Amino acid sequence: MFKKILFATSATEACDHAARVAFDMAQRYNAHIDVFHVLGIPSRGYSQVVVDVKTGDEVALDDNYRDLVKEEIRTYYDHQIAKTKNWSIDVAIGLPHREILRIARLMKPDMIVMGGSTGASGSYAHKKIVTGSTFQRVAKAAHCPVLVINRPAGSFWGGFSNVVFGTDFSNAADTAFEFAFKLVKELNCDFHIFHALDITGFQMNNLHTQDYIEDQIQKAGRQLRFKYISKMENFKDYAMEVWEGIPFVEIVKYAREKHADLIVMAYNTKKTDEKDASIGSVAEQVILRANCPVISINRSVGK
Amino acid sequence: MKKKILIIDDDPAVVDYLTTLFEDNGYAACSAMTAQDGLKRAQKERPDLITLDLELPDEWGPRFYRKLSSDKELKNTPVIVISGLSGNKYAVSKAVASLSKPFDRDELLKIVKENV
Repeated sequence: MFKKILFATSATEACDHAARVAFDMAQRYNAHIDVFHVLGIPSRGYSQVVVDVKTGDEVALDDNYRDLVKEEIRTYYDHQIAKTKNWSIDVAIGLPHREILRIARLMKPDMIVMGGSTGASGSYAHKKIVTGSTFQRVAKAAHCPVLVINRPAGSFWGGFSNVVFGTDFSNAADTAFEFAFKLVKELNCDFHIFHALDITGFQMNNLHTQDYIEDQIQKAGRQLRFKYISKMENFKDYAMEVWEGIPFVEIVKYAREKHADLIVMAYNTKKTDEKDASIGSVAEQVILRANCPVISINRSVGK
Repeated sequence: MKKKILIIDDDPAVVDYLTTLFEDNGYAACSAMTAQDGLKRAQKERPDLITLDLELPDEWGPRFYRKLSSDKELKNTPVIVISGLSGNKYAVSKAVASLSKPFDRDELLKIVKENV
């Protein structure tokens, strides 16, 4: 299931928790991990002078500098690399999301692992209200699942055995379901299929009766069973639930209640501009807030 | 009868320190260095409180807590997370408290007193 992991990192404290999960996965599932770092952005097209993304300094790029950065990354992750059998370190210059997608096309990993937004060195994305724009762009276009660990608290599980799949019944959710179900079967996990009924209209004076809400919950429950039970054949370790509320809050709460060590969701947003996406898709808000790693899957995964 | 505290930590120095601290303050203490052993000890000893390190040799703390809370007899046992890892405060959301190493012994004793 996980034979090739692409770990995209800023090699700063902001990615430490993502590193914990990425290396743990590599060791646990005997996978190859490629530690990938975009070291700088060219100051102008094809220029050999780049702006170092960590320091903000302009540096002249040559093989020595690349080797120096690789060595720095090697040292930074020394503790984890020492316990990992198959690993490599790659560095590139360019815009981070483009380079991550470029190497993903070449390497064809089973999974891209990322931390949240790095922003200024040392800052954490969970202190922001939006996910990083690099993540948004990678999640939208990647042809493989993208696993994001935004909060340090989400990195203390070790392996996957209790998976929550959040669905909005969209086409992208169908793709996410296929991946989630394959994962739970291969890793012998408990599978929690969950839908959050959006009743946020409540805040805009669109007050529903409790009967109406409960009718909708029952309807969504039927939809869950109709859509997914037939796809699971003889698999029995699943549970299905519908909760009403604010969707991202309910998914985070449900995962916490079930002690989930992984959430799988479709990534639906078409907007990648930080300003437009700031209210965000449900998946982005879950990524920001979850107490466990979150895998987001767009419609192009596996195609 | 003395209240019993189970210390789960893979660092013998921390285990020694906590054992002495709890015993000096009128509690009985027992310990385990792995999550698996910790669960067995918890089932056998029925402690009144557990202190839990997050990074154990065989398993992470949240996974231990998941197993603990699925045991009908143990699920309401108060757990205090004691870890040197950043972000530990939110790792076990139902823990009664989370302390970062190095921790204040008086603060720990106060939390223990409040929860047993």
